[in-house]
Amino acid sequence: MAEDKKYTTVSIPTPLFEKIQKKIEGTGFTSVSDYVTFILREILAHSNDQEAFTEEDEKRVKERLKSLGYLD
Amino acid sequence: MNKLLVIGLDCAAPSIMFEKLADELPNISKMRSEGVWGKLRSCDPPITVPAWMVMATGRTPGELGLYGFRSREGNSYNKIKIPTSRDIKFDTIWDIIGKRNRRSVVIAVPPSYPPRPITGILVTDFLTPGKDKEFTYPPGLKNEILSKYPDYEFDVKFRKPEKEKIIDEIHKMTETRFKMAIDFMKNKPWDLFFFVEIGIDRIHHAFWRYIDEKHHLYEDNPLMREKFVNYFKMVDKYVGEMVEQVDEDTLVMIVSDHGAKGMKGAFAINQWLIKEGYLKLKSNNIKPGSSLDDVEVDWENTKAWAWGGYYARIFLNIKGREEKGIIDPMDVRKEIEILKEKLKSIKGPNGEEWDTKVFEPEEKYDVVNGDRSDLFVYFDDLSWRAAGTLGYETMYLLENDTGPDDAVHDYDGIYVLYRKGKKVGKTFNETIYNVMPTMLDVFSVRKITGLKGKVMEGMRYVK
Repeated sequence: MAEDKKYTTVSIPTPLFEKIQKKIEGTGFTSVSDYVTFILREILAHSNDQEAFTEEDEKRVKERLKSLGYLD
Repeated sequence: MNKLLVIGLDCAAPSIMFEKLADELPNISKMRSEGVWGKLRSCDPPITVPAWMVMATGRTPGELGLYGFRSREGNSYNKIKIPTSRDIKFDTIWDIIGKRNRRSVVIAVPPSYPPRPITGILVTDFLTPGKDKEFTYPPGLKNEILSKYPDYEFDVKFRKPEKEKIIDEIHKMTETRFKMAIDFMKNKPWDLFFFVEIGIDRIHHAFWRYIDEKHHLYEDNPLMREKFVNYFKMVDKYVGEMVEQVDEDTLVMIVSDHGAKGMKGAFAINQWLIKEGYLKLKSNNIKPGSSLDDVEVDWENTKAWAWGGYYARIFLNIKGREEKGIIDPMDVRKEIEILKEKLKSIKGPNGEEWDTKVFEPEEKYDVVNGDRSDLFVYFDDLSWRAAGTLGYETMYLLENDTGPDDAVHDYDGIYVLYRKGKKVGKTFNETIYNVMPTMLDVFSVRKITGLKGKVMEGMRYVK
């Protein structure tokens, strides 16, 4: 089951795979999987109410802003 | 001309860059004498967030729905949200030219965390929680940065007592970021290079007292003054190196999001609201420096409360809007007018007249999206910052309530337009809203509707 493993497989058309492979040449993406994961995360982030910051992240940023005099 | 290099110097002020230190900045001064330069009027409020995104989108803070470093969530009394890249609902310059297959390198434009995909590469800004997070697009770029520039920092925690150490830290942070930017200029493909350096803002806030003889905390400290000047000399040196990388087809634009001036003090706005009967607490035994979150507010008897910062935001407690609202919606107009007059009549600590500006967001923007306070207040024309904390013996604090702070924001930032091979030497004052149309003009994009600004006057001469 997908939930039991850290990674699982999805299928995409071979021409699309090849297109992506070409597209990511010379970028920081090391594999098609990396790229596809990034894009999907991005789309999911925009399509639901997922927060940009985790609670912990927000605390870190707020503390910094406080020390900068922006939050008081 | 079909490429654009934007060097963003957060908080760079005309009085420093064009006057006080002009002789120490040979590269920038040469760009001025051969290019076009002047003051760049910021947006209202003249604050880093939203100002950089006003520049990058051409939209007003009202359209962006961003009025500072925090937004209120759902009309609540104490829930706040820090702006992120997801709050930017308009296309930026790099989004627009990206659709036309032009590539951008974007570094540290606030707010840009979490990183969004662009045509090109992007490094997020000082609102990034930490280096452990994904802070680049594409994600692999992060490893490249951390292996080549292991001491890369998003910001410094600058309000610490060890002043000499902090100024050295800021110096190092800025230097590393410039080095990285120059490396990217040489080694990454780009049509637009948009780089923001936050260090100048930090330097102004922490060290203004060493260069402003009129400041109430002025210190004649030759070492600190030298460090202050050396910081700017370093910035100028790297600006020169960046400009060395470009050809005659590239427009170079130096811009700042707002200016700076000496801070006269901090006005404890919530304490004033208590004195005037607008804000009620359940106990009067308050520790100095407490925030409203630390004390028990008697919301059922409170008409208004405020947030501090370089300007104050005042919220009314309105029936039907706030959970325990008490002002009848029919009385809001009357209450606002009375409060405005009272705020404008506040005098300084020695009874001196203040030039306080008070306005409703609707008076400044045609569109008012997102969370907005009912009033914006610039105490003594921004010379006094607002402290949201309370429990002090006086409403007039000579230092910032959250630590030492020497400077406040000012309306006018700077701009310089420069193109190699052109000898212009003209001055025009511009507004921040004219930055986006000017950038679009470089890329021959003319069909963006709804922008408030226009192409800068100086483009006639550098084109």
